[in-house]
Amino acid sequence: MKVRLRLGTTVAALVAYIVTILIVFPIVWMALTSFKDEVSAYQMPPSLAFTPILDNLNDALNSGIMTYIYHSVVAVGVSTIVALALGIPAAFALVWHARKSNEGILFWLISTKFMPAVGVLIPLYVIFKDIHLLDTLWALIIVYAAVNLPLVVWIMYSFFSDIPKDLLEAGRVDGASDWQVLSRIILPISLPGVAVAALLSVIFSWNEFLFAVTFTYTSAPTVPVFVSSFLTSEGLFWARMSMALSLAIVVPVLLGWTAQRQLIRGLTLGAVKG
Amino acid sequence: MAEVTTPTVRPQPAARKTMAQRSTAERRLFLSPALILVGLVTQVAFLVTIYYSMLSWNLVRPDLGIHFVGLSNYASLLSSSAFLTALINTIFLTVGVLVAGMVIGLLLALLLNRPFPLRPLVRTLLITPFFVMPVATAEIWKNMLLNPVYGLISWLIQQTGITPPDVLGSQPLLGIGIMLTWEWFPFFMLILLGGLQSLPEDLIEAAHIDGAGPWAVFRYITIPHLQRYIAVSTLFGLIYLLGVFGEIFVGTQGGPGDASTTLPFLIYRTAFSNWDVGTAAALGVIAVLITILIATGFNRILLRMTGYAEAQ
Repeated sequence: MKVRLRLGTTVAALVAYIVTILIVFPIVWMALTSFKDEVSAYQMPPSLAFTPILDNLNDALNSGIMTYIYHSVVAVGVSTIVALALGIPAAFALVWHARKSNEGILFWLISTKFMPAVGVLIPLYVIFKDIHLLDTLWALIIVYAAVNLPLVVWIMYSFFSDIPKDLLEAGRVDGASDWQVLSRIILPISLPGVAVAALLSVIFSWNEFLFAVTFTYTSAPTVPVFVSSFLTSEGLFWARMSMALSLAIVVPVLLGWTAQRQLIRGLTLGAVKG
Repeated sequence: MAEVTTPTVRPQPAARKTMAQRSTAERRLFLSPALILVGLVTQVAFLVTIYYSMLSWNLVRPDLGIHFVGLSNYASLLSSSAFLTALINTIFLTVGVLVAGMVIGLLLALLLNRPFPLRPLVRTLLITPFFVMPVATAEIWKNMLLNPVYGLISWLIQQTGITPPDVLGSQPLLGIGIMLTWEWFPFFMLILLGGLQSLPEDLIEAAHIDGAGPWAVFRYITIPHLQRYIAVSTLFGLIYLLGVFGEIFVGTQGGPGDASTTLPFLIYRTAFSNWDVGTAAALGVIAVLITILIATGFNRILLRMTGYAEAQ
């Protein structure tokens, strides 16, 4: 029995390692290619032994990607701050002043998450055009904040609900105002929740493409717009492209690894804890 | 509020507002900014989409004017082959990726549910494709893996003596589907793994003592327990996959011809290449109706979800 169990574990481990290598290979290969010269980039089979060079990083930085990264950082950063600033008090109000309508509000927030982007894309485009927000970062900030708000409210609601009731009652008895209870008692012990909400919000808006490509042209395009504009395979420089792709994906991948335990709770809005 | 500042009205009633009234006002103050922003961007904008869908309006031809045309945009869509093709493509792609992602996700979740060395690292690496920017995923697959001349997969196929196919050129939906499966299986894997890990171990032990083999345990204990998780991941997977856009924009531009044009991409093309607001809006309304149809189909699960959230 023991031998069978050990054998099973070995087989499981081997299968897991092989599958994992196959799955992550495209990413690892891309990351390695960013440090190759263009000739060895096209070498088949891809060589793992090569002298790494940093030329592509220079080229990538000089190709204007920094402007796109700057736009992304502002759009993603400000929209996440707005989503947290509006979402945290909302979640707090749902827990602190619980009402029968809570269920309806939370359910409604889920349902807005089901609204496909294409269902609101055209009016938002026309409105932003009319109020001269088209091709500005404000258009993306407003949309990303609204898209991430349900997520922030749900995550914070689930964190606030885990806080012992006695702690809340203590604040109530002291006669503290809502802001005081939120900022002095609730928020300091809910910082992990804030971090998770912020991480997920950053990952989703950093990778967002549809709104970015329709609402921005020259003054505010973000990193995904830059990535989508690479030329077709003919005459494409793999090494340089790989470096730009590596720069584009490194932030969400690192944040995603950090937030992985909470990812599923966020994506299914609390339906599954994962 | 006005009563407090008007001297003719005594301030006492306002000051003596009951606790309940005050907390209701505070609740509203805290809640409404969030609800208003979400409501404006999702609900009000959608109402405008419905209104636009009944207009004949070309954004780059102001000379043609804007006319109310009732439901005729919908009528012409129903007889348009581009729409029907996009609808069929969307269904094929969404269901195909859902099934492939679910099967791969389930197998890997079962694997990850066993103890073995370096398991946390394996889990972390396996979910990585999900965080890669979708347009970057499409660039990697289109150029470095599937390109018929230079791509690595094409090279591997060539080694077996077969001429590598131009997957994105000849079978574009299959090519996009492969990319999407690579990107989305971690989503299903993580949800199902969560389900497996919440399975009480003494239940399985009891079954073993009763003489149940591994297959019987899987069939009669694991699968029934996973049903809820499969349902939730199906619902959210369908909703998210229906919105796929960047992979098609970069991978195939919806082509060749209409061969990989899905509903979101058709809407994008109608709105921002043809500048036909009315038709694009009508397509948007149809996309929302399809989503509502799916969500209503899962209505019971959603209600159970709300109950679950309350219990948390």
